Amino acid sequence: MSATVSLSKSEKSYIRTALGELSPIRADGRSLLDYRSIALETGVASLANGSARVNIGKTAGEESGSGTEVIAAVKLEVEGVLEGEGVDGGRLMCTVSCSPAAYPHLSSAALDDLSYDMTIILNQCLSHPSLHPKNLVIIPKRRSWLLTLDVIVLSDSGNVYDALFLAARSALCDTKVPKTRSVQYQPKSNALGEQDVEMSAEAPASIFSTKEVKSTADFELADYWDEGEPLDINQEWPVCVTLNLLSAKSLPTYFLDATSQEEAAIPLRLLLLFSFSPSGTRLQSMRLMGDGEIQLESMTQLLESGENHARKLFQALKNKLQEEDFRRNQKALARFDLR
Amino acid sequence: MASRVEILNDGGFRSDGRKQYELRDIIIDLSQQGSADGSVVLSHGLTQVSASVFGPREAKMRSQTLHDRANINVEVTIAPFSMGERRKRSRNDKRVLDFASTIKATFEPAIQTSLYPRSQVDIYINVLQQDGGVLQACINATTLALAAAGIPLLDFVCAVTGGVQSASPLLDLTTLEENDIPHLTVAMMPRTGNITLLTMETRLHVDRFEEIFQLATSAGHVLHREMKAAIKDRTRTLVAAMSVAPKAVGEKDPVYSERMDDS
Amino acid sequence: MVTFTSFPNPKDSFSYAPPKFSTEDKNDMDIDVYEDDDDGEDFDSGTKLTCPGEPITSSHAYMRGHGTFIDQETVISSVAGTIERVNKLVSVRAIRTRYNAEVGDLIVGRITEVQPRRWKVDANSRQDAVLMLSSINLPGGVQRRKLESDELQIRQFFEEGDLLVAEVQSFFADGTMSLHTRSLTYGKLRNGQLVCVPPILIRRLKSHFVSLPCNVDLILGLNGYIWVSKHINQNRRPGEEGLDAESVYSNQNEAIDAPTRMAISRVTNLIKVLASHFVPLSDVILLEAYEWAIENDVEVKDLTQTDVCEALILTVGTKG
Repeated sequence: MSATVSLSKSEKSYIRTALGELSPIRADGRSLLDYRSIALETGVASLANGSARVNIGKTAGEESGSGTEVIAAVKLEVEGVLEGEGVDGGRLMCTVSCSPAAYPHLSSAALDDLSYDMTIILNQCLSHPSLHPKNLVIIPKRRSWLLTLDVIVLSDSGNVYDALFLAARSALCDTKVPKTRSVQYQPKSNALGEQDVEMSAEAPASIFSTKEVKSTADFELADYWDEGEPLDINQEWPVCVTLNLLSAKSLPTYFLDATSQEEAAIPLRLLLLFSFSPSGTRLQSMRLMGDGEIQLESMTQLLESGENHARKLFQALKNKLQEEDFRRNQKALARFDLR
Repeated sequence: MASRVEILNDGGFRSDGRKQYELRDIIIDLSQQGSADGSVVLSHGLTQVSASVFGPREAKMRSQTLHDRANINVEVTIAPFSMGERRKRSRNDKRVLDFASTIKATFEPAIQTSLYPRSQVDIYINVLQQDGGVLQACINATTLALAAAGIPLLDFVCAVTGGVQSASPLLDLTTLEENDIPHLTVAMMPRTGNITLLTMETRLHVDRFEEIFQLATSAGHVLHREMKAAIKDRTRTLVAAMSVAPKAVGEKDPVYSERMDDS
Repeated sequence: MVTFTSFPNPKDSFSYAPPKFSTEDKNDMDIDVYEDDDDGEDFDSGTKLTCPGEPITSSHAYMRGHGTFIDQETVISSVAGTIERVNKLVSVRAIRTRYNAEVGDLIVGRITEVQPRRWKVDANSRQDAVLMLSSINLPGGVQRRKLESDELQIRQFFEEGDLLVAEVQSFFADGTMSLHTRSLTYGKLRNGQLVCVPPILIRRLKSHFVSLPCNVDLILGLNGYIWVSKHINQNRRPGEEGLDAESVYSNQNEAIDAPTRMAISRVTNLIKVLASHFVPLSDVILLEAYEWAIENDVEVKDLTQTDVCEALILTVGTKG
């Protein structure tokens, strides 16, 4: 993965030396395991079923454009299992697109490659069967929801993968699946008695319309004006922790939440994706990026510490999401009062 | 596509409660985004776009440079979740490219490109939410971002959509209205009243054209005032921020006189 | 260690009530408060603001300068900024814009491309600047002519990504600027890190080489690039011991101790904070900000937090 900023040799060595010292100091004064502050807001796209915006590292002030910013949004669409592309039980699909404004120096081909790389990482992790929500079914074997998660990278000043997954998790947790109710046409007489109503795909008796003969069993939205129910595996959506490795030594020093300059100065990054659920902690996915190598023994150690950091991040995110829910409820109530 | 919603009811109200000639709320946020030279997030009602301008700067591809003026490069990305129905369009999609080249053509006459030979001005637009008037929003956002980036413009370019519902003209249409009635988008430069863009993809009776065109042009002046106010507001804020600081010892006043003489 | 915050609320002043508009009743248009703005008597600081397409004055009485054009005998602004008048010349200075070079300016740039006998340098300008092989100090003596061997090993001097401090020498016919580093104070940058700010925030100073008492040197490039590095003793500058390629064009940093690194990071963060509030930078203000940070015992990493930023800006503002 190519660096998105260019640095001189002496800048790289300045960063690496500073990180490698006994009491490491980073360019912005953080210690190795400090995150920059993360701003988060849910419900940012009104036409989506769930959405979130995340910014890592924005400096306060009108004129600072700094920070890595991404928007994620979930949309649900109905798919036919028999006639469409749908799969029984529903599908989950993720895409990432990088805005050219985030990488103003990349050519459009390079930008497409980058978007593609990010899409693969996000999609492989989130569309894995172990993370499949059960409530994407509308009518078993007939209709299901297609869940698409689209993420846009608006600006990148480092640590974009952590931001991607923070936004993805927040958008998925924010997603509400509309409540549906199956409806079925019941023939008045038993003229079609021999036929199995459930299977009578071609039954001419439907009074719905001649176009809709296929769906003798259809669904309607339960008429709550309430938005629906959350995805049933809300807590399990993974968080990503990127361990930036300073060297490939047997006991590698690592640091968290790298800036783009730091990313350009180091040889290796290890992406770890953890899912925390009541049933236990799972490592959902991992990826080593860069042109270096690490020794197998150090992996166990990195995994262990990665899990620790991920758990802290997960907990902080969970609290923030609850806070956001509260804020939005208050806002909705306030608006209701106005009327 | 017949709609069950009345476009204009007997009381003279539209589906979102506006009157015939009423424009939607405009929200302009000119604060800095990323490393752009100028950027804006603009909303016309529920339609929201962001625009970032980079440049004038060295062209990414040398083949794109023009020897006598700056090259304008417009790239549009449409968020898949911006519409009611999700649709993923790649940046190389024909319609998106066409849309981008429309915007480029609109700004060719407005930007003083001849001041920057061999340079490039990149305009990156993100459509975040669509509810009608996407082209108008993109054009207005581009104007604001260009002005914020300090790129010399002959004038603002203000765009507005207009439509006609059985002999009654409407302004600033929503998606619902755009789907139902003939409409056009006009971009104009308020100082001279010149038109830099006029597009219409639906059929419109020729007798109706004049009226709606006039209306859209005058609505452009209204938008111009809002956009100008936003730009001035920002300039004022920045100038105020800059005057806060004490002068440094030995600091010279900007030596402008010397430089100006040779222009 | 992980802190979540919320996005700041969008400023109310930037959102407008629905612009009412009606053809039947022209008076509707006059409701708007911004109507009077054209006459622009908002001189809080004695500056008059303008924006693209706004008429400034008649072209009979005045000459047009930068940021303006003439149409039908009227001088019209083409950028958003402040109007400046020098005798009969009217120009508009854009607030945010790329760097406009002038001969003699000191800039900090980054090599983007190595070409035969010259380098392309990114200097935050409308085009990459050019640095000719003949415009640098060659190792082995100040007055040496360049040799073919120098051309062949051009990357030994500067390669892609390298940072340098240089002076604007001249302009080519198409407006591209040409740089030179033919002085002992110019050349490759080492021992520190770069910060970028809008060019307008860098005022013209007597010297753009600033030494802060905290063992930190600053080079304030007029193009908005600032180099923050370890203080190098004047008489220990490499140039003094004869120009040998190793020292002038070396990529090797010197040993830098922890307090110095901390000071470099602190200064960097202070610059970022000041720039993000659009405060112009000078040696005085940076020193003041630095002292404030030390007095108040603010940790380097906390400098970018909202409340700390605000307190800092307030202090710096009131002292002036």
